[in-house]
Amino acid sequence: MFDGLREKLQKITTGFEERIATASAESAPAAPKPEKKDPSLLGKVRVLVTDREFIISEKDIEEPLFELEMVLLENDVALPVADEIIAHIRKDLTGERRKIGERVDTIVLSALKGALLDVLGEGFDLVSYINNHERPVKILFTGVNGTGKTTTVAKIGAYLKKNGFSVVIGAGDTFRAGAIEQIDVHASRIGIRIIQHQQGADPSAVLFDAVQHAEANHIDVVLADTAGRFHNRVNLMNQLDKIRRVMKPDLIVYVDEAVAGNDAVVRAFEFEKSVGTDAVVLTKADMDPRGGAAISIAHTIGKPLMFLGTGQGYDDIVPFSPGQMVDELLSEAA
Amino acid sequence: MLDHLGSSLKDALKKLAGKTVVDRTAVEDLVKDLQRALIQADVNVRLVMQLSQAIKTRALEEEPPRGMSVREHVLRIVYQELVRLMGSAGEVKLGSQTILMAGLQGSGKTTTTAKLARHFQRKGLKTAVICADTFRPGAYDQLSTLCSRLNIPCFGNPQEKDARVIVRDGLKATGSAEVIIIDTQGRHALEDDLIQEIIDLNTLTGATHRWLVLDAAIGQKASEQARRFHEAIDIDGVILTKMDGTAKGGGALSAVSETGSGIVFIGSGETIEDLERFDPDGFISRLLGMGDLKALVERAQQSVSEGEIDVNAMMRGKFTLRDMYKQLEAVNRMGPLKQIMSMMPLGNIELPGDAYDMTSAKMARYRIIMDSMTGKELDEPSLIASSRIHRIARGSGSTPDEVRELLKYYKNMKRALKGVRGGAGKFNMQRLMKKFGGM
Repeated sequence: MFDGLREKLQKITTGFEERIATASAESAPAAPKPEKKDPSLLGKVRVLVTDREFIISEKDIEEPLFELEMVLLENDVALPVADEIIAHIRKDLTGERRKIGERVDTIVLSALKGALLDVLGEGFDLVSYINNHERPVKILFTGVNGTGKTTTVAKIGAYLKKNGFSVVIGAGDTFRAGAIEQIDVHASRIGIRIIQHQQGADPSAVLFDAVQHAEANHIDVVLADTAGRFHNRVNLMNQLDKIRRVMKPDLIVYVDEAVAGNDAVVRAFEFEKSVGTDAVVLTKADMDPRGGAAISIAHTIGKPLMFLGTGQGYDDIVPFSPGQMVDELLSEAA
Repeated sequence: MLDHLGSSLKDALKKLAGKTVVDRTAVEDLVKDLQRALIQADVNVRLVMQLSQAIKTRALEEEPPRGMSVREHVLRIVYQELVRLMGSAGEVKLGSQTILMAGLQGSGKTTTTAKLARHFQRKGLKTAVICADTFRPGAYDQLSTLCSRLNIPCFGNPQEKDARVIVRDGLKATGSAEVIIIDTQGRHALEDDLIQEIIDLNTLTGATHRWLVLDAAIGQKASEQARRFHEAIDIDGVILTKMDGTAKGGGALSAVSETGSGIVFIGSGETIEDLERFDPDGFISRLLGMGDLKALVERAQQSVSEGEIDVNAMMRGKFTLRDMYKQLEAVNRMGPLKQIMSMMPLGNIELPGDAYDMTSAKMARYRIIMDSMTGKELDEPSLIASSRIHRIARGSGSTPDEVRELLKYYKNMKRALKGVRGGAGKFNMQRLMKKFGGM
């Protein structure tokens, strides 16, 4: 995952490096060319830059920053978010400019890293959350239509079961035809009890029953599936709010897909505003190996990413780790 | 949050409003804002760059046609270029055909399949669907439930694991149907075995149409996915789903440009009837976050002929009841005031709230009242005092209060126009009146 973005970012860092190289060549035209063909990017920048005195001015980085912004946009980072990341880097870089002799490569990379880490925030460790929490832990899944809530519920159910927790699923999507059958098949395949009503039933009632069942049977985790809904449908959002009031979830997990574009920001914001969000799951990350939507959503609502969905199997779910991702993104050995 | 998306473009257009010659900086600003608007609408970044280059070149090189302001000229170019990019709406024939649905997971294929079946059924065609989704649990239940509500035959076999077998059997079972729609499993273009499956299905069915179902929210990935699907099965139409959300659907532009096809339908809601034929103009408006450009142009043209307003008199600060009468007439032809204002790309002029709230019934009422005034009163509204008010009320069958209300409305209007004139200079005023009065 995120290969595309990493590749692009590295191209851009090379762009920075070239700019810096030109700039430093201008500032010290007589300087001999550095040792040839150091394969490592950081090495090259270091040689070119650190041995001379050089200041980054805002003008110098204007063009590479524009390119970087384009790269972010091409990778589905939403426009306002890309703008802010760029502003962050610009501020960081021009703030550092007076420190003559400081290694510019480090400055550029750490600015970028800082900006991305800033945006992505901390990850979210579900297992330790459950361990430190009173049982049953009630988790409500929200999101727009077709992002993969039901599949994610099944995957997380399998994941928790593997980690030794007992799980019950509440089939709260009572609207879409076939949804109850879908989650029912999933649940029986992974061996998890499911609480369901008829299609068209009140989802609050279903999920309340699921919570009751968990309390009566000392089950660790309740996973509450819901019908997909658009954030601009007031009545459906009110229904979700009612679900929240009735089942009192400990965690509200917002599910969105990695292929989503700028709208990801809008809907993440609206869901956060109307029912709240505690953590985010990004599905279909195998479809889009770039990391744009993750950055957009995390930046917009400031909530941690918990899992990435990476395929169609029950095991295709990986806990999200921001530090690792950013390191991977910027690592020398691409 | 959403509103400000379109507004930056409006601001850019406003900068062009007062200009008589095409100004390089203003055009560049506009193009930059256009880029932002389109990127936010998820149009492919490269496509946006090409498009904005074309617009810039044309805007700077082409001479504005006579009588067309710079702003209109640039807007027209923007509009034309977008239309060119989008191509025309994909064709849908009413006749015997087999339609193969393709798309990513969760894009809405199954729902759209049922909606399409409903569409053809309503057109009087014998329709059947085949559920070839062998992967997702509940897929067959979903489709057969939707279809049984419509009395449309739905073939499928949840036990069978090979989609090819299902489709082969399905084609036999649904032989007499005129329109056969095949729903397939969601797949993305990087899954080679699934892509092979859909190639096989395409060969097997000899499908008349291969439609790509695309979520309106899809981002930059739309291009690549569409290209791969196109390479595999030669996509000849795009269906854009979930347009009832806030996503602007710019991904569809990428898909259309990759596949060289057109958008055929738009899914706009959760019920079975929520499927619309694609309308390029509405789509462009939504992309840019601006009012419906084409509709405005058309309506303004329709009401051009009559209703002359003495702009010059108004320039001198003389806005009489007679002017208002003409204006109401013109506006009446163009639809409710608020709608007109929202359709106007630069309609950010602050009018008093009650000016917006005028209903057409009230406008008609006002005109009747004004019909009872003398010519002198219309030209010199300050003449109208208590006894005249009573006379006018009697003559028009209204109450004196209604006449006073009209006079108050007139005063508000006058003040608003004065503000516009003072603030934005002669040129803007003239253009405003042109739009406003449709002269």
